[in-house]
Amino acid sequence: MFHRRRATMAAFLLPAIAVYSVFTLYPLVRGVYLSFTDSLGGPVANFVGLDQYQAMADDPAVSAALWHTVLYAVVVVVAQNGLGLLFASMLFRRPRVRKVLNVVLLTPTLISPVMAAFIWSYLFAPTGGLNALLGTAGLGSLQHVWLGDPHTALYAVAAVNVWMFTGYSCAIFLAGYMSLPTELLEAAALDGASGWRRFRSIEWPLLAPALTVNVTLSLIGSLKVFEFPLVLTNGGPAGATDTLTLLVYRNIFGGGKFALGVALSVLLLVTVVVLSSATNSLLRLRERRV
Amino acid sequence: MTSQLSATAQDTGHRARTTHADGRGGPPRRTSHRPARRLAGGLGTALLGLGTLLFVLPFLFTVVTSLRTAADVARSPLGIPHSFTLKNFSDAFSQIHYGPSTLNTLLITGLSCVCITVLGALAGYPLARITAGWSTAVYRLFILGTSIPVFVVVAPLYLLMRDMNLLDTYAGVVLIYTAINLPLAVFFYTSFIRSVPADLEEAAALDGCGAFRTFFVVILPLLRPVTSTLLTFVALQIWNDLLVPLVFLQDPGKRTVMVNAYSFIDPHTVQPTTLFPAALLGVLPLLVIFVFFQRQVVAGMSAGAVKS
Repeated sequence: MFHRRRATMAAFLLPAIAVYSVFTLYPLVRGVYLSFTDSLGGPVANFVGLDQYQAMADDPAVSAALWHTVLYAVVVVVAQNGLGLLFASMLFRRPRVRKVLNVVLLTPTLISPVMAAFIWSYLFAPTGGLNALLGTAGLGSLQHVWLGDPHTALYAVAAVNVWMFTGYSCAIFLAGYMSLPTELLEAAALDGASGWRRFRSIEWPLLAPALTVNVTLSLIGSLKVFEFPLVLTNGGPAGATDTLTLLVYRNIFGGGKFALGVALSVLLLVTVVVLSSATNSLLRLRERRV
Repeated sequence: MTSQLSATAQDTGHRARTTHADGRGGPPRRTSHRPARRLAGGLGTALLGLGTLLFVLPFLFTVVTSLRTAADVARSPLGIPHSFTLKNFSDAFSQIHYGPSTLNTLLITGLSCVCITVLGALAGYPLARITAGWSTAVYRLFILGTSIPVFVVVAPLYLLMRDMNLLDTYAGVVLIYTAINLPLAVFFYTSFIRSVPADLEEAAALDGCGAFRTFFVVILPLLRPVTSTLLTFVALQIWNDLLVPLVFLQDPGKRTVMVNAYSFIDPHTVQPTTLFPAALLGVLPLLVIFVFFQRQVVAGMSAGAVKS
């Protein structure tokens, strides 16, 4: 009787396995295979070995895009989690405003990236909100063509990303704060440890799991960013905000270099897997030491 | 990735309900009430308020500006509004074909959520209860999917959809969303069911209840909290997504809100009085949901986040 039961239970898995295999695993394998061909998306695909990867290595636009992607991710991970932690630690110390402000900070997270990019493309415009604000505040010298200058464009795009997801990081850190042992914090307070001291020696090490989750999530999220650079700059000016995802999209759907686009998407996968598992192992190691 | 997710697996689902229960925890009361400390505390609160304000300011500015006339905004973008109009909204409404595209997005989001829930819950049950080598392997295979960016499979998926005649169909998009989100759903349901004692199911089995009935009568009712957490997260992703409908739904009549906004509005040439109402219309349904289900949304977004 129990044997049959198990067989029926195992059958529950079939629909999920079928959908997942056909629409994720199979395309993944086929994608890797296609990156070794000269496919144009049609029925013909000749095996060409590493030609696409060679073409990628020879193309300065690809290495630039890889660099932009990584730089963008580093900026976002540091700024978003730094701000999120700052907000979380302040909210934790102020139980009365905690819930309300947490919800308020989460509001930008709900907006779609396309919509956030709409809002910020006006705020960043030469005659837009940010420059008008700086002018009104008497800081006219700081006015800037934020998205038009290759030196600031990538950071401006990253700022939109940070704006959107800081509340998310804050919520995760706050959840970490809520699971801290109260006795320990009380003991430290009784011993007269200062706020900074308590943060440095107790809260920061004990928040290690929340940090791991936050860094991993924001890293993966920012490495595969697409909508922000697409809508805000479309890779410009002069390719300064071209990311791997934009190159993939452009090559596959319009560049006529289908196989190259597929090879680029494999590069994106490798980047995500290598960076996220390296960071994750480091942070896990740190958790164990704590 | 795998190790991270499996490490948090044990406590994700059921934690989600309790993580943000209010009033728990919090820092110990200060032992001294020296004025200097009080002042510092007050200053901190002021800074915190200011910081939060900075974060919502773009949003408030968007709302206010979208209700002003273009001429008024052009005269002084940051000035006190001298006009009030809803015309911007009605313009944006027709420009991005808001009515039909909202219905399309609702349909796609709703159907995908149903498929993800049903397939995910069905798969989570055996994965949580059968302890065998193969079931662990299957579970690992699903978890692997949580770190695959859609971009990596988008090209082969396009070929597959074309060959299956699923381009430009709702079914194709729903299948893609289901496949993309299944790993997360499987992770949620498996870890949740693992945390539930098997006593009830064993009792049901002894009473002659088959696996099918056990699932529907015993397991399914328990899954409500974890499902609402999962769905707030998944629905948000699907509603806001641009790439999948942009690539797989080219028929203008089937486009989603995001695709229409992206294709009909050029952010570089257009006035804020057109951009902002469009942005707000795109967000509106989510904001309404957020207001009503605020607690679940907050829990949903920080779920799976922290292990103790």
